[in-house]
Amino acid sequence: MTAYLQAEGLDHHFGGLHALQDCTFDIEPGRITCLVGPNGAGKTTIFNAITGFLRPDEGHVTFRGRSLDGLRPQAIVHAGIARSFQNLRLFTELTALDNVMVALPRQFAEEPLGAIFRPLHAARSQRPRRDDAMQALHHVGLADRARDTVRNLSYGEQKLLTVARLLATGAELLLLDEPASGLSAGALDAVMALLRRLQSEGKTLLVVEHNTRVVQQIADEVLFLHQGHLIARGPPAQIIADPALAEIYFGGAL
Amino acid sequence: MILLQLLINGLVTGCALGVVAISFALVYSTTRIFHVAHAGVYTLAGYIAWLLLSHGVPEVIALAAAALVCAATGALIQHQLYARLERRGATHLVVLIASLGLLAVMQNIIAAVFSPNILQFPVPWANRTVALGGIALTYAQLLTVLICLAAYAGVVWFAHFTALGKRIRAVASNPFLAQITRLQPNTVYVYVVAIASAIVALPGVLVPLDLGLQPYGGITPLLTATIAMIAGGVGSISGAFLLSIVIAELQNLSLLAIPGEWSIGITFFIFVIFMLFRPTGLFSTAR
Amino acid sequence: MDFLLSYLALASIYVMLGLSTNLLVGIVGIFSVSQAAVFGVGAYIVGHFLMAAAPMPFLAALAIAMLCCITLNILVTLPSLRVSGDYFVVTSFGIQLLATAVFTNWTAGTGGASGMPGIPPPDLFGYQLQSTWQLMALCMAGMLLACLCFWLVMRAPFGRLLRAIREDERAVAAAGKSVLRAKVSAAALAGAFAGLAGGIYATFLSFIDPSSFDLDASILLLTMVVVGGARTLAGSIAGPFLLLALPQILTLLDIPTTFAATARQLIYGLLLIAFMLFRPQGLLGERL
Repeated sequence: MTAYLQAEGLDHHFGGLHALQDCTFDIEPGRITCLVGPNGAGKTTIFNAITGFLRPDEGHVTFRGRSLDGLRPQAIVHAGIARSFQNLRLFTELTALDNVMVALPRQFAEEPLGAIFRPLHAARSQRPRRDDAMQALHHVGLADRARDTVRNLSYGEQKLLTVARLLATGAELLLLDEPASGLSAGALDAVMALLRRLQSEGKTLLVVEHNTRVVQQIADEVLFLHQGHLIARGPPAQIIADPALAEIYFGGAL
Repeated sequence: MILLQLLINGLVTGCALGVVAISFALVYSTTRIFHVAHAGVYTLAGYIAWLLLSHGVPEVIALAAAALVCAATGALIQHQLYARLERRGATHLVVLIASLGLLAVMQNIIAAVFSPNILQFPVPWANRTVALGGIALTYAQLLTVLICLAAYAGVVWFAHFTALGKRIRAVASNPFLAQITRLQPNTVYVYVVAIASAIVALPGVLVPLDLGLQPYGGITPLLTATIAMIAGGVGSISGAFLLSIVIAELQNLSLLAIPGEWSIGITFFIFVIFMLFRPTGLFSTAR
Repeated sequence: MDFLLSYLALASIYVMLGLSTNLLVGIVGIFSVSQAAVFGVGAYIVGHFLMAAAPMPFLAALAIAMLCCITLNILVTLPSLRVSGDYFVVTSFGIQLLATAVFTNWTAGTGGASGMPGIPPPDLFGYQLQSTWQLMALCMAGMLLACLCFWLVMRAPFGRLLRAIREDERAVAAAGKSVLRAKVSAAALAGAFAGLAGGIYATFLSFIDPSSFDLDASILLLTMVVVGGARTLAGSIAGPFLLLALPQILTLLDIPTTFAATARQLIYGLLLIAFMLFRPQGLLGERL
């Protein structure tokens, strides 16, 4: 049976840095998989490689049997994979609602001809899309902040907004880069609840996370990455309890 | 021997362009600024020399003085304009526009102070020719080749064998790292623009010696030089110099087939080819 | 009075150009010094077809001019956008210088350095425009049309997409949208505005020559956007109206005509530097 998401033999150098070393793993659908490892292990690099922001020197990525090699980021989103960024990368001058609406696929008048020659239709067709966006905001608990500019949102709210933006794309596999970092306890719980809720709705999540408590609470499986290579995988309890891995994670080089 | 004459002319122009190219590349690869106003400095050099020569200053002194004035101008531009813009968080586009504005200011001040029309250097010996086996070279042309080749050699030596040169290359290869170590990139930038401005003064004086002074004549050589820099690979001094000669030769050879006014088309055509097929240039270093 | 009409007409034309330049430079963020070249292409095409052996109706010639300008802008931006931004600087200068060379040397097509005189006033659906009033009305109509299109585009999803691209291209790609396609579309629209301006200019002035479409003209367009303000409709209107009043102010200062052009260009350069240093958002715009 072909794996849902399969990365095979990913290898990449950044100048002298061997960021990914023959990295192979697969993800199963409907689960929350956490990607852990010390800093510099290559977690974000893997995200970039999967989502088309980086073309690895070697290796292949397939999703639902279809090769993602060489595809542009936009194409990979259309294929059903969306990713968030560690540093958020929200559109700070736009409202929360607009941030989400940018990510809605297949909109009319996202090019000049439609905007100029069919302005009424353009305005009309935005209404159901606005509802879709509000739904995504509602899903993450930001519905009442829709009209606020991103600059006026708290950090926790901004993080939730990045998830809403992902949901707007309609992707079924969500790659989240440290969704819980920098959050207070309350916001953390909200994020974890959101992620579990998304899973129950059929989304598959691959989450990079440093917070062991978060990993323990939400992960169905953990992938441990070290120096660009997958060195362990298993249920969270098992990975976290492993002394050798803890040594690498906390006391390791770098 | 028309062909040989064209080739020699191409070599002369190419050497001059080469120096413009390597001086521009020096600024670009270090500061990352597309220093359009460099064309203004190039133009300024010629006029400073003309001014001095018109007052009886010996040629060598005039050339040296022009180089010094340009160095000071360059340092001023970096320190007062570009550094200031950077402190205000200017985007790349903003710096480009400011540089273009500066070019317009420089060209038009020169035109107002001197003349908007072509001026000739009061150096009669420059146009006397020397015959070398069937072809004729003016002294100006001969001087251009010699001095520009020497400048090229000088820059290569400077970049690889002097402390400042190595420091500049270090800053160029990793500005972020330079910032957090003690390389003081901002000071380096001022040196770089000053040196580059002094270097570009050489063709800035030598080319008008042959062709006459013109306030608005800086942008075309600069454009050609940047194309040579890109085609040669940003970061490669020799690449920029070599490609300048290649482009100049192609421009001259094209005169056999098409009228001179269209030679800019040749340059541009070369650029488009490179952009489509080898955007990183022939000899690019890393980036 | 005639002078006022002519000022209003020219300002209207330059507003269209201002919108074009603002789209490219302000909104997409491309450094363009070739807007005057595209303007010129539009003007020469309309001039050519209005004076051809079998003259074309004005709107048809205008349509052709606009299509050519759209194509030109697409051809120019498409390859450049796929490599680094500075490559476009070179391309843009190259296009402008090449265009000036063509306008000046292709005597058969453009009349060369002496220009193309005798362009007839336009006929619209059989009605021949004659008086200065009518021609000015045409210019204003063009300006209003361009302003309307700009406004419609910016409030549509396309406008939102462009604003997002301005902030963070990677995030836009991660949201599943093609940044390249959006930028090229914006460039195409900018081309349309420039072509429109060129065609109206040709028929309004009835004489065009390469000096209106050279690098200095492109610098003037940049100055209009910088002074008026980037990315806004208000800025695109304010810039041209203000800067076209400048030559009049200069004549009041009694500057000899030989220096007039030099003085103007000097002032444009100073304005560019000053605004970039002290007020990058211009008078009525957003920060560049």
